Amino acid sequence: MAFNRPSTVDGPLFKRALLGSLSWLAANQEEVNRLNVFPVPDGDTGTNMLLTLQSAVEDIKDSNAAEVSKIAKLASHGSLMGARGNSGVILSQIFRGFARAVEGKASLTPPELAAAFVEAANAAYRAVNKPTEGTILTVVREAGRAAAAAAIGPDASVPGVMAAAAAGAGAAVLRTPSQLQILREAGVVDAGGFGLQIILEGMLKTVEDAELTLAAIRDAKPKAAQMALELPEGGWGYCTEFLIEGTGLDMELIRSQIEALGNSVLVVGEPELVKVHVHTDDPTRVITLAGGHGRLLKLNVGDMSTQHKRILDSATSAANATPRANGVGLVAVVAGRGLVDIFRGLGVDIIVEGGQTMNPSTQDMLTAVESVPYEEVVLLPNNGNVILAAKQVAGLTKKRVHQVETRSVPQGVAAVVAFSPERSAADNVAAMRKEAERVQTIEVTHAVRDTRSNGLKVHKGDVIGLINEKLEFTGTDYAEVVNKALGKLGPDSYELVTVYRGEDASDDELARLESAIRSSYPTLEVEVQQGGQQHYPFILSVE
Amino acid sequence: MVTDSTADLPDEWRDRYGIEVVPLKVLFGSETFRDRVDMTDEEFFKRLATSATLPTTSAPSPGEFAEVFRRLARTYDACISIHIGEQLSATAGAARVGAEAVGGFPVNVIDSQTVSMPIAFLCRVAAECKTLAQATAAVERRVSRCRVLALLDTLRYVEMGGRVSRATAMIGTMLDLKPLLLVVDRQIKSVDRVRTRSRAIRRMVEFLRSELPVEYVAVMHAEARDEAETIAAGLRQELPGQDVPVGGIGCVLGTHTGPKALGLVYLRR
Repeated sequence: MAFNRPSTVDGPLFKRALLGSLSWLAANQEEVNRLNVFPVPDGDTGTNMLLTLQSAVEDIKDSNAAEVSKIAKLASHGSLMGARGNSGVILSQIFRGFARAVEGKASLTPPELAAAFVEAANAAYRAVNKPTEGTILTVVREAGRAAAAAAIGPDASVPGVMAAAAAGAGAAVLRTPSQLQILREAGVVDAGGFGLQIILEGMLKTVEDAELTLAAIRDAKPKAAQMALELPEGGWGYCTEFLIEGTGLDMELIRSQIEALGNSVLVVGEPELVKVHVHTDDPTRVITLAGGHGRLLKLNVGDMSTQHKRILDSATSAANATPRANGVGLVAVVAGRGLVDIFRGLGVDIIVEGGQTMNPSTQDMLTAVESVPYEEVVLLPNNGNVILAAKQVAGLTKKRVHQVETRSVPQGVAAVVAFSPERSAADNVAAMRKEAERVQTIEVTHAVRDTRSNGLKVHKGDVIGLINEKLEFTGTDYAEVVNKALGKLGPDSYELVTVYRGEDASDDELARLESAIRSSYPTLEVEVQQGGQQHYPFILSVE
Repeated sequence: MVTDSTADLPDEWRDRYGIEVVPLKVLFGSETFRDRVDMTDEEFFKRLATSATLPTTSAPSPGEFAEVFRRLARTYDACISIHIGEQLSATAGAARVGAEAVGGFPVNVIDSQTVSMPIAFLCRVAAECKTLAQATAAVERRVSRCRVLALLDTLRYVEMGGRVSRATAMIGTMLDLKPLLLVVDRQIKSVDRVRTRSRAIRRMVEFLRSELPVEYVAVMHAEARDEAETIAAGLRQELPGQDVPVGGIGCVLGTHTGPKALGLVYLRR
């Protein structure tokens, strides 16, 4: 079907294949996550492999190298830097083996490609101390074997070798439950192996430029598998990962030391840079020990019992860990427990605590922007007093920062709701601005002193109502002031009022406010949310 | 011609073109119902509203397909069998295995990559072709143009069915958001999330406008006929000459959409 079937793999083709595998893995990430029961059912295998692959691709996407060896080397380095989790680390070794095998080559013939796959599998086996069959290791080995078989003969082609590798991986994945009891019991195939199959399929898709029909393993029973695994006594311990930077690092020595402190140990890399992954009950000792060998980078300690629990709870959690299709991150400034949860639930990656009286610094926002795993970030100040500090952030980072000048919580919520992971940053910013402007904000609070504002005389302790930051009404009662404000906005042009209840609002005050709105404006839908914000007993969004 | 019950094929088309509909199944606990055979859509949504546990769904078995193909083999020389996307259901796979079991009767199983009335449109396209080869080509050309834009009243049902997560739809648990989902390219994408139903409906129509021109379009609903009729009337005005049928969402699909779902389904040109 495809024209111009490639006869060799050069740098640009390998680069495209990796990019293709990344998007295919991104599309299937959740599926891989759900299969994850071994060695720890924390349901993040897909995410870890994706982040590892992303890191590999990060380094190659700007390269125009014509030689396959250069692209492979960049991918190898990038994946080692970004490797996360067991499968991610093994994946980085697969890249490393591949890179070694193609060293000095401008392009690969079908037999050379197959040989590189075989060497990639060997490297993966070498990285693991006690190789377990029925895992990604088995799958990469079988992929290599199938590729080698397909490379024999005059008719061997690059797509043919790729297809054989992908098919070999697929067949091996289907056999994993017969090799590993935990998979058999859970009724799933191996997640890491499946992840590798997806990566190979993604490459094949690119090379073939054709649609794939995928095997029917999609009906594995993921949820049941996660549920079935009880938490062992003492928990799963901590997943501890870091890089050691130094000179002449002795990997064998480090590995033997780390192995005494935990399991699922992976120690891989070069004498100058070693990646360590271990599941341990005592991360502090591991870190101290490793610190003796060199400088520690990218330290990451995760409580796996919590991770496991999170999976079980995932029906209610809105995970933010899924990398987004558009590569755009979200940072919002907000305070109040409920509001923080709301913004998180809507997909905001990082919340900077702050608001009306706790204005966050430019540095706070910069740190948040830098911590988001995306190169483009939309920043929502959600308060008029924060906008200026937020504006500075863009000039201080290499990332592309877009500010949507939200001046209130309702504007912020409207903006986040308008965000779509399928749209570009620019399109999103336009949509978010439009939505934020469409929403009217009513805030009610008490005057802290006697004053005069916007032609109104205000006494200390009065209830005051602001529409879009402007003082419009005073009174003695929240319900009365809110009703006046809604009347001024003209309820006929609106459908929905969302009430964000503040920390200081009592149940009684909330009930009175709700019934006042419903009886005065029966056509408006009213939704109450626990905002937990300070200073404003009620913030209302009118849209 | 064979399809399955998720095609939401209007009875009139089924009779006119002589299309076989193989039902998927809905399971309420241990009770199994064949979609639109043992249970009507009305009965289903009534039971859904009162059932303590959510139903689950399952594909027809290869054996059930084999039975149908065997029966057709007595009258016909060959068959085209168009089914719900393989990313959503094992139905097409079952059809393929079922077809292999019936020797000497060629069956072209087509993965429509989509769901609901776009499959019915594909069936109609096939039925109006003269030969199997023409029908297969005409359908295959259109598979990638099928779209289902769905407005769900709640994400609860589709989430329980495991086809969409709150994370991918970026729908938290706090605010009452209406997700707009698009079935396209073997995926379910989150197109938008909107605070109110009326705005969500306007957004759906806006989205359709950006996809024009379309070859076929229909409005689907689960227990929301009035809204569907209003949308369809608007579309007929906007797209003169375009037939815009209104269809009901069946039991199996309804298990995943839940009540009050609306869909704009179409084939891009």
